[in-house]
Amino acid sequence: MFYYICLRRRSRSGTRGEALTSRRAVESGQRAVLPVSVEVEQYAKEVLDFSSHYGSENSMSYTMWNLAGVPNVYPSSGDFTQTAVFRAYGTWWEQCASAPPPFRRTPKGFHSQDYIELAFEEPVYPTAVEVLETYYPGAIVQILACSHNPFSQSPPTDVRWEVLWSGEPTKVLTPQARQFSPNIKHISFPTNLLRLEVNSSLLDYYTELDAVILRGVKERPMLALYKMPVIDINDLSDSEEELSDVGGPFRQGSDGKHQRTGNGYFDKLPYELIQLILSHLTLPDLCRLAQSCKLLHQHCCDPLQYTQLSLQPYWARLSDASLGHLQSRAPLLQRLNLSWTGNRGALTLTGFSSFLKACGPSLVCLELSCCHFLTEACLEVVSQTCPGLQELNLSSCDRLNPQAFTHISKLARLRRLVLYRTKIEVGTVNTSCIEHRNFNCYLSLLKIEDYDVVASMLAARCRSLCSLDLWRCRNLTDRGLAELVSGCKMLEELDLGWCPTLQSSTGCFQHLARNLPRLRKLFLTANRTVRDSDIEELASSCPSLQHLDILGTRLVSGASLKKLLQSCPKLVLLDVSFCSQIDMRVVQELSGLFPNVALKKSFTQ
Amino acid sequence: MLSVLSYGRLVARAVLGGLSQTDGRDYSLISASYGFGKDFRKGILKKGMCYGDDACFIARHRTADVLGVADGVGGWRDYGVDPSQFSATLMRTCERLVKEGRFTPSNPVGILTSGYYELLQNKVPLLGSSTACIVALDRRSHRLHTCNLGDSGFLVVRGGEVVHRSDEQQHYFNTPFQLSIAPPGAEGVVLSDSPEEADSSSFDVQLGDIILTATDGLFDNMPDYMILQELKKLKTTNYDSILQTAQSIAKQAHDLAYDPNYMSPFAQFACDNGLNVRGGKPDDITVLLSIVAEYTD
Repeated sequence: MFYYICLRRRSRSGTRGEALTSRRAVESGQRAVLPVSVEVEQYAKEVLDFSSHYGSENSMSYTMWNLAGVPNVYPSSGDFTQTAVFRAYGTWWEQCASAPPPFRRTPKGFHSQDYIELAFEEPVYPTAVEVLETYYPGAIVQILACSHNPFSQSPPTDVRWEVLWSGEPTKVLTPQARQFSPNIKHISFPTNLLRLEVNSSLLDYYTELDAVILRGVKERPMLALYKMPVIDINDLSDSEEELSDVGGPFRQGSDGKHQRTGNGYFDKLPYELIQLILSHLTLPDLCRLAQSCKLLHQHCCDPLQYTQLSLQPYWARLSDASLGHLQSRAPLLQRLNLSWTGNRGALTLTGFSSFLKACGPSLVCLELSCCHFLTEACLEVVSQTCPGLQELNLSSCDRLNPQAFTHISKLARLRRLVLYRTKIEVGTVNTSCIEHRNFNCYLSLLKIEDYDVVASMLAARCRSLCSLDLWRCRNLTDRGLAELVSGCKMLEELDLGWCPTLQSSTGCFQHLARNLPRLRKLFLTANRTVRDSDIEELASSCPSLQHLDILGTRLVSGASLKKLLQSCPKLVLLDVSFCSQIDMRVVQELSGLFPNVALKKSFTQ
Repeated sequence: MLSVLSYGRLVARAVLGGLSQTDGRDYSLISASYGFGKDFRKGILKKGMCYGDDACFIARHRTADVLGVADGVGGWRDYGVDPSQFSATLMRTCERLVKEGRFTPSNPVGILTSGYYELLQNKVPLLGSSTACIVALDRRSHRLHTCNLGDSGFLVVRGGEVVHRSDEQQHYFNTPFQLSIAPPGAEGVVLSDSPEEADSSSFDVQLGDIILTATDGLFDNMPDYMILQELKKLKTTNYDSILQTAQSIAKQAHDLAYDPNYMSPFAQFACDNGLNVRGGKPDDITVLLSIVAEYTD
C-alpha cells in the first residue's frame, strides 16, 4: 500500500514512461534504479595485497596474482595452476600445537582468515561483485570497497572502507565451480579497490578463485524514493563505530555535589562479577559502555580487561588516535593482535611506538601479520620496549628490508617466530633468531638462499624446537635435514612441502622418521621421491602421527599406506592428491577401513 | 606530385613516429599453424594446438608476438609416460607467460626458463622431455628474438631466399638437446639440458618477411628448396592464404615422410654418417607459418 501511494505521487511529477518502468520494477521485486546508466563490467587489473598464497613468490602457479584478469579455468572445476589459492584450508593448521590460541573478544561477525585486495581500472558505484570460484567454493566471508584510488599519485587521505557484503563461511556440497554473486549494499562513493576476505575452515580442500568481476555505474545511481535499504544485522555491530571516538574522557556531571550512586543492582554486585560480565563484551561495546556511568567507566577502563587485545577485526578503522585512546588501559597487556592494521597511512611509527611503550613491559605475544606500516624503526621499538616478548608474527610483512630483522636478536625470550613471506636473509636469521636457546616453538621462513646453514644452526642452538615450517625452502638438502633431525629431537611438526632437493634415495626421510618419535605433523608435499620404504618407516617409528601430506609422488602404493594407517591410530589427515598409484578405488577402500581419517584426493578434471 | 592529404599523412607519421626510427609503425606476425601427428593421430586436437607429440602456441601481447614449438621425445612411451603431456604443458605455460606479460621480448630464453620452472611448480607430477623453439617479434623495435633448444627450428625467408635459420643442437645422432623432467632416481640417466643452453639470436626483420617455425618432422623430410617453392606461392598476407600454405607444406612433408624411395634430408644425413638408408622419416610434423605485417588492433 505504501509503495502504491508513493508511486501515485511520483507519477504526477515524473513522466508517464518513468512511472511505468518504476512500477514494473517494484512489481518484479527489484530495487529500481532510474534512469538507465551504462553499467561497466571490469575484471581486476592488479592484485595489490594479500595475506598468503599456496604458490611460490616468482611463480604464476597457484599464486594470488592469478585473480587479476580474465578467468583461465571457469567454468571448469578442478585443481589448476592458473587459479589463486590460499595457503591453508580447514582446521588442520589450528589443530597444530604451533597455532596461537584465539584472542578473546573476537566479535561474532568477524570470521576472516585471509584477504586479498584487488584494483580495477575505473572507479564505479558497484552494483554487483561476482567471484568465480573454481574449486571447493564457499570461502568468501566479506567483500569491502575502498574510497581511495590506488592508481592515484596523491597519498591516501581519508581512506574509508565500506562493507559491501558480509556472510558466514559456508561449504558447498560439491567442489564444482560456481559464480558467487551476493547482493551487495549500495555505497555513496565510487570505488576501484575491492577487498575479499575469506575463511576456508569448513572446506574439505583448498579453495581456488579464478577471477573477480566488478559491475558498476559511473554516475551515482539515483535511489528511488520508495526503495527500502536492506539493513544487514551484522552491519550494525561495528559499521558506524568510530573507534577513535570511544574512550573519550568521561564527562563529569556539572553537579558534582549530587553524588548519586544510582546504578541499581550494579552497586550490589561484587567487583569481580561485573568484570566477568564485561569480559564477554566486544571491544567497541566495552568502549561505549565506558561512557554510560562512572561505575562502569571505572570497570571498563580497568587494565585487567585488556590483557588480550585483538584489533584485527577493526583494521579498517584503526588509527594512531585509536591506539592513543587505548593506551591508558593497556599496561597489563600480554597479547596484542595488530594484524592487517595500519595500512595506507592509518598507523605510523609515532602511534605504534607510544602504544608499545605503554604496554611493552608485559607484552608476551605480538601479531603483526600483513602490517605494511612497519619499518625498521618499528622493529627497533619492539625490541626495546618488549623485553619479555615470546611470540612474534611478522608474516607477509614483505616491505620490510632485510636489515630490519637484526633487531629481533635482542628479544631474548622469543619462543615463536613467524617470518612467512618476509625478505629475511641467512645472516640475519642466524644472528637474530638462533641465539636463543629457548627457541622451542615455531619458525617459518621463506626466502633464504641456503637452508642447510639455517638447519645446522637450528640443530646446534635450538635443541628444544618443536615446530618448524620450511615450506618451499628450495635449497634444503638431505645433509641439512639430517643435521636438523639429529639436533632437534623434540620436533613435533615439520613442514617440508615443495622442497625439491630432498631425495628419498639418500635415506633422509627414513632417518627423519627414526629420529623424531614425537612427530605429529609431516608435510612432504610435492616431493616426488617419497616411496614405500619411507611410509613404512614412518609407520614403525612415528606412532603419534596426525597429519601427513605426500601429494604428487608416484612411488607410494596403497599397501604401505594401509600399514601406516594401521600403525598410526591418531592419523586424521592424509593428503594423497596426485599420487599415481593411489587411485579412487584405493582411496575408497582405505576410507572404508579407516573412517576417522580425512583422505584428500584432489583432481584436475 | 603528392596530394595534400598524402603529404600531410607523411608529415604526421614522421612526427608521430619520432626520430628514433625511420618507420614508426608497430609490426606484428600474422600466423597460422598446421600439422600431422605420426600415425594419423592428428584428430585429437588438444588445447594449445598439438599434433601427435608435438605442441605449439601462438600468443599476442601488447609489446610482442611470440610463437613456439616443442617436439615431445617419443621414447618415453616405452616407460608408460605420455610424451605429449610435457610438450603440450610447456607450450601452454609459455603461452600463458606471454599473455600475462611475464616476459621480455628480447629474452626468449627467459620465457623458456620461466616456462620450465612453472612446470616444476605444478602439483601434477609431470614426466617427459621435449625440444623447444621460441620466436618473439618485438613490435616497436622490429627485431626478431629467437631461441632454440634441440632440433626444432625456424627459417626466415626474404625475397625467396633464406636469410636466417636456426642450428640444430644434437648430442648425438637422433638425440637432440631437450628439456626434461625425469622420474626420481633416473636423473643421472635421463638427458636433461638446461634452458640456458638454448641457442639464441636476434635480428631485424622487414615487412613481408616470412618466418617458418617447425619441428624436425618438416626439416628432416623437406629440403630448403622445396619449402621455398611452396612459400613462393604465398602472395597475400591474409590469414587464410597463410593457413593454406602451411597446410600444403605440412601435407607435402607428410607425403614425403612415407615415401620409401625418396632421399630425404634425414636419409642424406644418415648416409653421410655411414648408415645406408633411404626414404622419408615418419614423424610428427608441426608447421607455424608467419608473415611480418603492420600491427592492427
